[in-house]
Amino acid sequence: MQLSCIKNLAIVIGSMLLFGCAATFAQESPYFVTYDHHMEEPGNLDIEASTTTDVPRAGQVYYFAPYTEFEYGVTANWTTELYLESDSTWNDSAIFTGWRLENRYRPLKREHIVNPVLYLEYENITEASKIQKEIEGTAPDLTSPNSILQPMKDHELEGKLILSSDLHNWNVAGNFIVAKNFSQTEGVEFGYSVGFFRPLATIASGSNCRFCRENFSAGLELYGGLGSTLDGFGLHDTAHYAAPIVSWLVSDNATLRFSVGAGLTHETNPVLIRFGYSYEVQGISGRIARMFGSKQ
Amino acid sequence: MRMRWSGLLIFLCAFFGYLAAQNLLYWPDPTWRAPESVAAKPNPLADNLRAAAGGKKLFMRNCAECHGKDGTGVPKKHSADLQLPVVQEETDGALFWKITNGNTGRGMPSFSKLPDLERWQLVLFVRSLRPVVKQDSLSKAPPGS
Repeated sequence: MQLSCIKNLAIVIGSMLLFGCAATFAQESPYFVTYDHHMEEPGNLDIEASTTTDVPRAGQVYYFAPYTEFEYGVTANWTTELYLESDSTWNDSAIFTGWRLENRYRPLKREHIVNPVLYLEYENITEASKIQKEIEGTAPDLTSPNSILQPMKDHELEGKLILSSDLHNWNVAGNFIVAKNFSQTEGVEFGYSVGFFRPLATIASGSNCRFCRENFSAGLELYGGLGSTLDGFGLHDTAHYAAPIVSWLVSDNATLRFSVGAGLTHETNPVLIRFGYSYEVQGISGRIARMFGSKQ
Repeated sequence: MRMRWSGLLIFLCAFFGYLAAQNLLYWPDPTWRAPESVAAKPNPLADNLRAAAGGKKLFMRNCAECHGKDGTGVPKKHSADLQLPVVQEETDGALFWKITNGNTGRGMPSFSKLPDLERWQLVLFVRSLRPVVKQDSLSKAPPGS
């Protein structure tokens, strides 16, 4: 089962390379958890490989949780994404922990001081998932072995209200999360993430430099759980992180992102390290159409 | 069996997504107009020649995909020809507003993610787009035309 998933993923990535992907501008925001109001450009596919890893406390497991994200711009105000995620826990096992399908829709046509985006996600994952793409409810289980967590399936529906603003070269964004797990009796869980970032230079030079300041952005993210209807809404026994974030536009079509999060409560890992590499492919839908004989 | 259904679901999402992404008709949007107060804004980089070079780089990264490297538009994307008088007659402020806000209903994304000065650099470069008169057509033109 796991082998066939990896094989399928390899086929998809291999096919994309064979199609001859064209490059386009791909400066992604440095956020790992927070979403802003910028959608994927229509017809483009953003492929991203990211990892979440920890520095554990006593009793916590040491893990390395890679995930792959395929983000497609359906229209200028609708973006859809597929996540495939896995986990490798030290002295335990390496497993495929599930997939997520999410959609973001931006209802307003123009830029406003605050721009809302509606987000809906379906998750088919297991309790062994450790990518911590968001934190909702209390805290993820960071102590139990995968043999216990992997059989516990989560079929979860998650909604977010994304509010985001571009103000004087800064982006400020806040997400409120509501999630319902249909597989277990967890009630309705809540979470949040807020963040801001800014490019290090606000004017582009004429040269094609890679290390100049205009290619870097930096900021900060704060995210955590807000309890549930079962445990009570609030901060009691919840996990929270503060994470400086940096992104670097490596080439016209690729961005590297890095974040070192500090756990603010005892329910967290003391340090959460995230790393991401994204590559944007232009006009993927047209390429697929031509493969199937379209003359467009 | 479950994997098969998941695969079908993903295929259907991708298929309908592809259909929805096709902008089959392009026509100028008469409602896409900058407010007068914004349209009157001058370009703060108007006299900065070095900024124009950066504008070209930003255009190639952000705009050439849909509008073409020379700004004449890409037919299959139904994108606007930026060399047309209807575009070039716009004020700098109006072009800045259109780059900032986009027109998502017509497939033009918002570029407010770019810093203010970079968007003004784009305006500088769009201003420099003029129809290129080909040498062939000049040599074939009748005398006195």
